[in-house]
Amino acid sequence: MFLKRHVPLLIVIGVGLLTLFGHFIQYKSIQDFVNNDAMQWFDIIASFAIFLGALNMLKLQVIKIIKKQKNWQYSILAVAGFAFVIFAGFFYRGANFITISGFENDKLPELSSIIAEELNEDSPYFIQTKILASQTENTEYEIDKRFLTAGAAKRFMEKLTPYVENINLEAKIWGSHVLMEGSLFYWIFFYIKTPLELAMFSLLAFFVASASYRAFRIRNFEATLLLIAGIILMLGRVPIGGLIPWWVGSTIFILGICAIAAPFIRGRKILVGMVGGGIIFSIIMGTLMGWNQNPPSIFSIPVIQDWIFAYPTVAGSRALKIGIGLGIVATSFRIIIGLDRSFLGE
Amino acid sequence: MNIKVIMWSIFFLIVMGLYKMGEGVIFVEGLRIQFAAVIIISITIYYYIDRARSGADIYLRTIPGLKALEEAVGRATEMGKSVLFVPGISDLDQVETITGLNILGHVAEHTAKYETSLNVPVSKSIVMEAGREVCKEAYLRAGRPDLYYDDMVHYVTEEQFAYTAGITGIMERDKPAACFYLGKFYAESLILAEAGNSIGALQIAGTGSYSQIPFFVTACDYTLIGEEFFVASAYLSKKPELVGSIKGQDIVKLLVMIAIALTVVLNGFFQSGWISFDILSYL
Repeated sequence: MFLKRHVPLLIVIGVGLLTLFGHFIQYKSIQDFVNNDAMQWFDIIASFAIFLGALNMLKLQVIKIIKKQKNWQYSILAVAGFAFVIFAGFFYRGANFITISGFENDKLPELSSIIAEELNEDSPYFIQTKILASQTENTEYEIDKRFLTAGAAKRFMEKLTPYVENINLEAKIWGSHVLMEGSLFYWIFFYIKTPLELAMFSLLAFFVASASYRAFRIRNFEATLLLIAGIILMLGRVPIGGLIPWWVGSTIFILGICAIAAPFIRGRKILVGMVGGGIIFSIIMGTLMGWNQNPPSIFSIPVIQDWIFAYPTVAGSRALKIGIGLGIVATSFRIIIGLDRSFLGE
Repeated sequence: MNIKVIMWSIFFLIVMGLYKMGEGVIFVEGLRIQFAAVIIISITIYYYIDRARSGADIYLRTIPGLKALEEAVGRATEMGKSVLFVPGISDLDQVETITGLNILGHVAEHTAKYETSLNVPVSKSIVMEAGREVCKEAYLRAGRPDLYYDDMVHYVTEEQFAYTAGITGIMERDKPAACFYLGKFYAESLILAEAGNSIGALQIAGTGSYSQIPFFVTACDYTLIGEEFFVASAYLSKKPELVGSIKGQDIVKLLVMIAIALTVVLNGFFQSGWISFDILSYL
């Protein structure tokens, strides 16, 4: 009980108070701890904890396969994917590269052309300059390409052999290979994982459409307001929005005013008369006041859009932010003083 | 005036006096207002906790999303389906995740009581361990430790969209009757909520990521907006000291509103040249 409950609670309270008041204390060690060490400790613990998670995932999938539970076939893919990434990260490096030295100057243009072709480089001259620079510095020239397999590298080496004296095949050191183009891990990352994630992310476009449809369905006053604001925002953000004439803007205003006034007006005919009369009145007034030539900016859709974005939206989001901020402060306070211990299971 | 208010006011003045004396030597210069804000917020919340402990009656308005928690579990029980709880994609260093786990305890208590299956896929190992502890205690509290098993809280992956794909897969295969999204969410929020919507699950969401709230509001049946999410644990526990902290939080909100109004007025006076004191220079 003491180790499971009291010790974690003491750590939470101690570190919480230190982090909170450390911000105000002018003592370098405390500030270092708060800003760097504590964060690194957390990262280290989290990195070790990943083994727990990975083993749990593997255990569940293997059990599913062994017991042939429902949809167990998918688990084969999960386990195989796990094994494949482990293999690429810890057992198979790839990232082979070739170094060359000892060139004859008359063969240099041809050598540069072969390398440029392999690297998809337009100008062999650029390669030639680099090779000459390495020759001047008396160092080996490393061809700027990593090969996934030693076999592919050797095939390319055969093409270079007639032009150079020394040619070596090497591989990048363990660890750096995971971030290096040409390694198996890199290939998995960019050609399997990234496209899969992007496919998942792109689903958002369709879901935004279906969610917007539901949100914009006219059910009550708020939904109508949302629909109008949404239409104005969409129109105001595209070039065609600027071409919409002033009387559309004035009509939107009249509709908005009538929508607000609608609950207080009993007769439907009066409301229809208000809307129709208002629209006709505004168009006549606007024409008489010369708005066709010089329309007021208040009726411009991009201006209305900017206003919606700069004021009502910001006001709403700031109210939310203040509420969320206070919620975080109060929850943190409850945790720091040891009042809320639900996360420890109490 | 209440004696405790006077005591706390004196305490505040002493602490601020000490800060002023040690400013530049022990305490960081230029953070006086921030420090005062921290002390005022802490004192206010603690004062109301203390009041609640001493038996003061504190009114809490009904939060439909929290009232619906039991209803959602009950619905899953009636339909003979499982309950899915997603605690977000962040680690335990985020208050939202901790709040999500706190609510998980209450959900787990209901699933234990109703003998309904609970599925908690997580994306962080530390959250998995904490989630297991929370569920274990909840099942024990409900008197059904026999129904608890470790793998009801299981790890999926750290990657955001792989995790999302994993959860939508679970939804499609298991068709849970109730889905809870309570924690920190980013772009995956709408994918999860729409997937849950497509299977007809009753969905309750809550997050501190303010940009994701509109998505949840659109696609879920109940959404805990803003501070509603953070008071959930206190609201559900009904412990006086936790309920008191909610009242304290509301009073702090009132103080913030007063401070905003005062700042606007004083800044307006300053800009009109009526006063020479610039309030914004203190912030």
